[in-house]
Amino acid sequence: MRVTKGAKIAAGSALLALGVAACGGGGGSSSDGGNPRTATGTVYIRGCEPQTGFVPGNINETCGGTVNDFVYSKLVKYNPDTAAPELDQAASIDTTDNKVWTIKLKPGLKWSDGTPVTAKNYVDAWNYTAYSPNAQIGSSWFADVQGFDKVNTADPDGPDGPKEAPKPETDKLSGLEVVDDTTFKVTLNAPTAVFRTKLGYITFAALPDAFFKNPQGFAQNPVTNGPFKFVKWDHNSQIVVAANPDYAGAEKPKVKQIVYKMYKDDDAAYADLVSNNLDFTELIPPSALAGDKWKTDLGDRAIEGQQGVIQTVSFPLYDKEFGGNADFRKAISLAVDRKTITDKIFNKGRVPLDSWVSPIVEGYKAGSCGEFCTYDPTKAKDFLNKAKQEGYTPPKEFPIWYNGDSAHKEWVDAMANSINQALGSDAGFTVVGKSMPTFDEFRSVITEHKIKGMFRTGWQMDYPHIEDFLNPLVKTGASSNDGLYSNKALDEKLHEADVATDQNQSVSLYQQAEAMLAEDLPTIPLWSYGLQAGTSKWVTGVKVTPFGELDPLSIQIKAAA
Amino acid sequence: MGRYTIRRLLQLIPVLLGTTFLINYMVWQLPGDPFAGRCGQRPCPDSYVSAMRAQFGLDQPILVQYWQFLKNMLTGNLGVDFNQVPVAAQLGDAWPITIRLALLAVAIEAVIGISAGVLSGLKRGGFIDNVVTISTLFLLSLPVFVTGFLLQWLLGVQLQVITPTVSDEATITELLVPAFVLASLNMAFTARLTRTSIVENRRSDYVRTAIAKGLTNRRVVGVHLLRNSLIPVLTFLGTEVGSLMSGAIITEGIFNIHGIGGLLYRAITGQDYTIVVPIASLLVLVYLVSNLLVDLLYGVLDPRIRYE
Repeated sequence: MRVTKGAKIAAGSALLALGVAACGGGGGSSSDGGNPRTATGTVYIRGCEPQTGFVPGNINETCGGTVNDFVYSKLVKYNPDTAAPELDQAASIDTTDNKVWTIKLKPGLKWSDGTPVTAKNYVDAWNYTAYSPNAQIGSSWFADVQGFDKVNTADPDGPDGPKEAPKPETDKLSGLEVVDDTTFKVTLNAPTAVFRTKLGYITFAALPDAFFKNPQGFAQNPVTNGPFKFVKWDHNSQIVVAANPDYAGAEKPKVKQIVYKMYKDDDAAYADLVSNNLDFTELIPPSALAGDKWKTDLGDRAIEGQQGVIQTVSFPLYDKEFGGNADFRKAISLAVDRKTITDKIFNKGRVPLDSWVSPIVEGYKAGSCGEFCTYDPTKAKDFLNKAKQEGYTPPKEFPIWYNGDSAHKEWVDAMANSINQALGSDAGFTVVGKSMPTFDEFRSVITEHKIKGMFRTGWQMDYPHIEDFLNPLVKTGASSNDGLYSNKALDEKLHEADVATDQNQSVSLYQQAEAMLAEDLPTIPLWSYGLQAGTSKWVTGVKVTPFGELDPLSIQIKAAA
Repeated sequence: MGRYTIRRLLQLIPVLLGTTFLINYMVWQLPGDPFAGRCGQRPCPDSYVSAMRAQFGLDQPILVQYWQFLKNMLTGNLGVDFNQVPVAAQLGDAWPITIRLALLAVAIEAVIGISAGVLSGLKRGGFIDNVVTISTLFLLSLPVFVTGFLLQWLLGVQLQVITPTVSDEATITELLVPAFVLASLNMAFTARLTRTSIVENRRSDYVRTAIAKGLTNRRVVGVHLLRNSLIPVLTFLGTEVGSLMSGAIITEGIFNIHGIGGLLYRAITGQDYTIVVPIASLLVLVYLVSNLLVDLLYGVLDPRIRYE
């Protein structure tokens, strides 16, 4: 009996729910003028769980980076439209030689606990991040500052060896000097023209005195100086930030609260966006990008743009078998039909790239890879023959490695097919896509220099400047030079550009350095990432930064229609 | 029965020790360094990697690490994960949600599955039987993510009867649709299992005797037939509780439910053993206990089964 009764009730209530919803649907549209967001002034945006807390010097992933950018202001900020650096907390950043920089803060800046933002806050924060026993992820960002080697010591045999890193001589960078409450001086090891642009990166944010009393607790409950201040963090579920009433910037936040709602699955976030339960996501899932479905779903709520992320494929130049020679790498690059792949697989959501630098940054020059990054099967075959004549025999099977835990399989397979077709069956080798299960494993094999084949590399800019696409990636011994490329002439050119005192001259030197890459093709540029974002019908004015993040100052709630 | 229970409980100890050791060992053997991918395309600074390894004892030999783990489990101190967030608090947040979802799913499975099975088994070859056979075939051939996305799109996006995702509170009403999705596949299994069992037992001697005694149909089916036919179904549902407790990664992902499945998934991809190992160990315990309960329930259903 009980079962039957229960079933009746369940069926009845289901019918009732449907009926109510049907009525609600009908009646809802007429009363839609009432925007549910207006009452609370709260907007909901897609988020994910940060790996580390709110300590700017200890962050380098997007989940944490995005929400930290909401709550920390830096000396410099990047224009959300043009990516050009503009003064934010700094009143002036002066230098005559690009080596000694005098930075003056705007007066009257405050932390969310009411204490003033001082030059000392910046110097303390930078010293803390650079000091190696503090084990901050961002420490290497201060390597340019004088005295870095005295505060940051390397482990003589790496983290795997039994030896421990010696204790640094001091915990203060000698290149940092507080002049007065709002002025400090930075002395670099060598002239660095791009230093001003770098200052907008999250690692260069200041920390209040409250941090140093309890760094662990602060990471979970920070005192901040940005347009928004921290309210609460429910792990794996949401982070809430509220508009900072003391924010001194010219443009004020237009919403009272932002809820950074965590999603495990982009499809779930997208479903919430389409039904207006979520106000913003910058990750439209592949299922919605297919056939431009998202544009029909969202209409004028769709946002398209560009972001400073590029996709490349690298060669292990240290490996005789899979490193190839320059002509071989050219042949591979010529055999990739970038346009068809970006059209068919990414629905034009990515743009074919013929240089090593993202098109949206300062110093970008189209065509630096030129003919070698344009699909041409005949030329590809010629270069392959040339490569063979020079004595290089490619192995029978040439893999392209990628990490299987995100969506790379499709384009890697397409690229392999494109190469195999272009080079023909008499090429003597076939290219195949191969995956490793996780990103961790993939990166371990790459950094141990044991990878056998080409491998996927991508670069997300830290700051919008050509330098960020060259120095960390192709300089001899650079931190992310995964293929161990080394070219003396290129290194010298890069150094020349680093130390040039004139901005424009420096940029043109970087461009000359980039052009040199076309001789060796240590990595093959593929495409630059587009940006696909969407908003709910409750908000308006939303801008997305070139970093692919929401500009928190732009979002505002629609007035009742 | 009491001695049997105690003996079974004592058996849990070596099983738990063995499995937790294996779990620890396997996590330790995973290729790749958990801190290699943490800094993206850039390598992490050595000082950071060393400090993290020291904090989590990754530089210790495996036996020392296992001892440390046992000590922490027994004292209930699970420490922090690689993100420096307390593990116990995260489990405390996620587990109640998963338990609610799992119990709801098993309840849906049992109610719908068993009643459909009984109805079709009693009238073999009849209309209801055909309907159940076809609809279960349909459910069996649909993967969970298809059912999930379909219902989310239909009820959430098109009809707007439900919100497409579940809020952080994850109330029972919000969990109804996800639980139904989760239950859909096994509901079909349960129905078919019950049906076969009923069909088989309907022809057995004791049922004929009961009918011959002149008992009402309800008593024959409800007491004599059902009790005997439910034993295999119960075994199935018992293990089901265990596997649903480990979280339903796909369903939780589709409806954005912050349960154990998502936590486990994130921890596995990040090689965060501080979360993987306690969850896996607790799951072993859940499995063992639910199996024990199922074994004990046999005796209730069928008094002929005795425990020595």
